[in-house]
Amino acid sequence: MNADLLTQAAVSGALIGGLYALMSLGLSLSWGALENINLAHFMFILFGAYVTYQLTSSAGIDPLLAALIVVPLGFAAGGLLQIFFEWAKVDEFKSLIISFGLFIILQSLARTIWSADFRSLDQSINPYVGSSFTVGSVSLQIPLVIAFVAAALIAFGTQAVMGRTFFGKAVRAVVHDPDTAQAFGVDHRRVGVLLAAIASAYSALAGVLIATFQSLSPTMAVGWFGIVFPVVILGGLGNAVGNFLAGIIIGVAAGVAAVIWGPLSASLVTFSIMVLALLFRPEGLFTRKAAI
Amino acid sequence: MKSRRRALTGFAVAFLILLAVPHLAERMDWPGFYLTFMFTAFFWITQSSSWNMLTGYSGYFSFGQGAWFGVGVYTTAVLAGKQGWSFLAALPLAGFTALIVGLLLGLVVFRLRSLGGEIFALTTLAVAFVLAAIARIFAAIDGGRGAFMTSVPLPEFLGEFRPAMYRMTLVIMMLTLVTAYLIYESRLGWGLFAIRDDEQVARGLGVPTFRYKMAALGANAFFGGLMGGVWALQIGFVTVEDVFSIRVPLFVILMSVLGGTRHWMGPVVGSLIIFTIVDRFNSAGFENFNQVFIGSLLILLVLAVREGIYLRIRERWVATASLFGLIIAASVIFNSSSMVWKFLWALLGILLMALIPDRAWQKLALRRRPTPSESREDRETVDA
Repeated sequence: MNADLLTQAAVSGALIGGLYALMSLGLSLSWGALENINLAHFMFILFGAYVTYQLTSSAGIDPLLAALIVVPLGFAAGGLLQIFFEWAKVDEFKSLIISFGLFIILQSLARTIWSADFRSLDQSINPYVGSSFTVGSVSLQIPLVIAFVAAALIAFGTQAVMGRTFFGKAVRAVVHDPDTAQAFGVDHRRVGVLLAAIASAYSALAGVLIATFQSLSPTMAVGWFGIVFPVVILGGLGNAVGNFLAGIIIGVAAGVAAVIWGPLSASLVTFSIMVLALLFRPEGLFTRKAAI
Repeated sequence: MKSRRRALTGFAVAFLILLAVPHLAERMDWPGFYLTFMFTAFFWITQSSSWNMLTGYSGYFSFGQGAWFGVGVYTTAVLAGKQGWSFLAALPLAGFTALIVGLLLGLVVFRLRSLGGEIFALTTLAVAFVLAAIARIFAAIDGGRGAFMTSVPLPEFLGEFRPAMYRMTLVIMMLTLVTAYLIYESRLGWGLFAIRDDEQVARGLGVPTFRYKMAALGANAFFGGLMGGVWALQIGFVTVEDVFSIRVPLFVILMSVLGGTRHWMGPVVGSLIIFTIVDRFNSAGFENFNQVFIGSLLILLVLAVREGIYLRIRERWVATASLFGLIIAASVIFNSSSMVWKFLWALLGILLMALIPDRAWQKLALRRRPTPSESREDRETVDA
């Protein structure tokens, strides 16, 4: 086994791990803070990617600039969905089943609009794909570096907001004890809708980043299950920085496993990590006290 | 005891009547797809009833039906399709392999008391995914090339392909339903329902929760796998994408939620309705629309009909039976399309009737209004 190859796999894995973290963050936040297991986040990612593809290929917008349109759309969609959840008084299980229904509907909608074939941005309009720079013997792909930096900023930014601002305190108060929070003037509905909207905006942004370097197909969303759930469990629900570190761990593990045992083994390895985490640290690797 | 004997007699009679159908079909020269329609319905009834033994009874929500089904399919596909075993020797192993995989999963997820039901649900969602990866990696199972079941010989006493499929699926369905019924009526069933209502209280009252949950998961996996083993024949060419797709868990969830998960009959009713609708959609050329329909119906049902329609049908059984008979009779007189379409109209009629909320129904049926004290009790139970 070539050491260079392994280093390369580990570095690329860590970079794409940042993207995994961003893909998981929305689900983790809404699960940890709102007690919704919102599978629709997978669809926010998928539609984020497809809308970026559409904007870039038909209007010629730079794929990263498309985020200026896609992310607000994700924000609005997530907020509306949360308003619906509040209105219907949905509990954790119902949110799982309802968002599963949404998942199925939206996936079939994506197939109707963009067909089941693979779609990817043409090199001529996508300046990011294929570009890379090398550090020593390791080459770094530009789109992955961008995704990694964005994910890191978001993870640490979210953590800071949760820890320091009034909004963050309001969220933690609502999670801890909704009734008392209400008595102190925190409207848990508004906090919930805003948080859900932010979480969905993250997922939409992850979709934009995916579109810059991957081919898209409607069925890829199911494949993300094997990545996102291990990251969410490993990182601890609602723990943004823990989630980021977990993304890197999963990314490196999947990347190295793919080099050693072949690409198909990656999901086996990530799943085994999830099972081990469930057995020994069900509250997540990086959670000291209660999450959030 | 007496009611159990009567129910088991009922199962035996139903089995004998259904067993006679292939002979009847031959005599009366029915179109061949009637049998296919029926044994596909048996398939779905088995899958959703076995799912319900775990999720309906114990409340642990499972997305794992696709995994048990897939393990069953690949067991017979490998043993009978690739290794040349006789089919009937490989078939029981389909159930037992799924049972082992299910129990292994249970050992991991049920060991930990801190694990909530939602983690269980997500783990089961991931299991099918991992099994698919294993099947793709190992060439002895699939290796990405698929497995052929088309040349597997069936024992002669089962008859031609269609009647043989019919008879095998019928036997497995009956075994599943009898098991579902017996669990429902037994101490195990009571324990599982106690777990569903409040697991901590159940444990405090002395219900061996770990053993009971393992038993429910085992029964679910076994029957799901056994039926999967037979279904490999119907698929013919087995591929990973097909077998481990989201289709099976999606459908069993929908069917059981529609019928109601609190009673063993719920999934049977739900399966018949959903399968008939989807089958007719497909034959009318709306395949793409199916997923949208299924997803919307699932959301609607979760929000609107909490207890499932079976209990409502049972309460309104006179109206249900007359409506069913009426629609069948009317469609026999007025149109000449196939029997399956008539069945669909009758089921849709029942479905619509069951969706009428209880209050509106009482007005329609001109029942006496509940006295004030009764209606207060009503409200209290709803609030609780």
